[in-house]
Amino acid sequence: MPIYAPTLPPRENLQNGSHPVAVMMRFDVGRILRAKLGMFFGFVFLFLLILQVAVLYFRYLANTSIAFSGVKDFAAQVMTQGAEYQAGHIGQMVLIPLWFQVALIGGGLVARDTLHRIRPLMYAHPVRPQDYLLAKGGLAALLPFAIQLPFILVPWALSLMVAGKNGPIWVSLPVHLLPAALIIAALAGAVTLGASAMAGSPRAGFGWVLGIVLGSFALGGMLAGLLKAKAFLALSPLALATAWPQLLCGMNDPFLDWGPTVVGTAAHIALWVFVAAQRTKPSEAVL
Amino acid sequence: MIKLNRASLRYGQILGLSPTTFELPAGGGITGLLGPNGAGKSSLIQLLSGLLPSSSGEVEVLGGEPYRNSSILARIGLVPEGDRFPTGLKGVGWLRMMGELSGLQGAALEAAIQKALGIVGMEVNGLKPFTRMSKGMRQRMRLAQALLHDPELLILDEPFNGLDPEARLQLMDMLRKLADGGVKIIVSSHILGEIAQLTDRILLLFRGRLLAEGSVAEIRELLDRHPVELRLAAEDARAVARWAVEQGELVGLRLEEGSAVVAVRNPRSFLPRLQAAVVDGTLPLRALDPLDLNLDAVFQYLTKDHA
Repeated sequence: MPIYAPTLPPRENLQNGSHPVAVMMRFDVGRILRAKLGMFFGFVFLFLLILQVAVLYFRYLANTSIAFSGVKDFAAQVMTQGAEYQAGHIGQMVLIPLWFQVALIGGGLVARDTLHRIRPLMYAHPVRPQDYLLAKGGLAALLPFAIQLPFILVPWALSLMVAGKNGPIWVSLPVHLLPAALIIAALAGAVTLGASAMAGSPRAGFGWVLGIVLGSFALGGMLAGLLKAKAFLALSPLALATAWPQLLCGMNDPFLDWGPTVVGTAAHIALWVFVAAQRTKPSEAVL
Repeated sequence: MIKLNRASLRYGQILGLSPTTFELPAGGGITGLLGPNGAGKSSLIQLLSGLLPSSSGEVEVLGGEPYRNSSILARIGLVPEGDRFPTGLKGVGWLRMMGELSGLQGAALEAAIQKALGIVGMEVNGLKPFTRMSKGMRQRMRLAQALLHDPELLILDEPFNGLDPEARLQLMDMLRKLADGGVKIIVSSHILGEIAQLTDRILLLFRGRLLAEGSVAEIRELLDRHPVELRLAAEDARAVARWAVEQGELVGLRLEEGSAVVAVRNPRSFLPRLQAAVVDGTLPLRALDPLDLNLDAVFQYLTKDHA
């Protein structure tokens, strides 16, 4: 006969803790910190930031110091000026290592759960697939945004401090570059999320992200060259990320024009979020 | 408490579970989900634990449809098959995350972790990284994870896989205690002996179909066309065989050393007569051993019928 026992008394409602999105994001941040992935890239980004600050200070001195008057014209010729200089704060020099770091960390966000078959267990808790997607995608986007912030705010604040409104950096720079950083972060987050969702392991996820970023850049470049149409570069997330700061700073000859950039970015975000949603739906997370 | 009404599950063109109907009453107790690999056990578990919606029919668990139903999911504990741990993590860290996903927080979460670790006997070893835990320890941690939020329904998918005999017995003991405490437990296994040791109530699945439901004896009674084999041990086995033949109900008889094995179509009428004969001394019986009233035999009969 079955073993019957008294029915359990009604239990108190447990739904008073953190939202599952916050729980999963916190858990992944802890894992990233434990993995110490930030040490190497932290050094790289710090070096780049110091370089930017040094250039900024040189520009300031070239404009204000008599001792530097001899190199002023030369500096004006070899260094970027105007909108190009402003947009360059999150230019390719920053964006290329940024994509590498995002690939390394973001590539494993979903793939690690696939490898260890954790997703079904999460869905067996009060976690909806959209919570899962939001947590992973949110972190994948938050990371590149956080990395870009110092490259915008530190030079801007230093320029204001040393030279006020007449400094080498526009007072309105954050207004131009913060939206660009947000769009780049969303693009990078979506690409890494989709790539990671397609991969079966973190290494494969890293490979997928790099494959998408570099492969599409090569393809876009090839098509642009063959068909003499720059718009094909919009196939590449790297090209799109390069174009946004230039467009928002009003550069005369940006990497890509507004139309292809907007369409390309929207298409990439929609495509990779769709891929991730398909690959992380409960029917894909069977026991 | 659990009600399936012609619920089925399809994976595209593949039918994981044919339309299935059964009902498990409220209250604690252990139900064994039995069937060979590919029988549909995991499909049924995915329906019950709310991981997938039914392709047709209705699934009701703890008073509601479990799929994407947070209030129901918060009352279910799932122990999936195999390890589900991120690398480089300590047992307690993982429990903390799973507890938070269930809505626990702060002191309540820490208390729940300590309680769950206490139930599974992992108070000390739970602090280790998973890489330094034995298979048995990891299985206990999986169980602790499912117990964190005091579930009313605990579902375990092949929990005994890979465990040594001692760890198996310990896990069975834990499950019995939980069932005695009022938790409804569903355990899946393809090993008949494991389920037979743990519970008498089974759901028997084969090729995506629910073949039978009930206790082993109840299910055995359904198998009228399969005779029951009884070993009658006696000093004079021939005399016992002669007596059995005289009863006129035999469909089979063979003599073994020190015993006669008889196959009886209707044990309900044969057994009382056997008992009476032993009591009045006409039958010198030393032992009576039903050979196919165990789960293995029931399973063999049922699956043979449906193969």
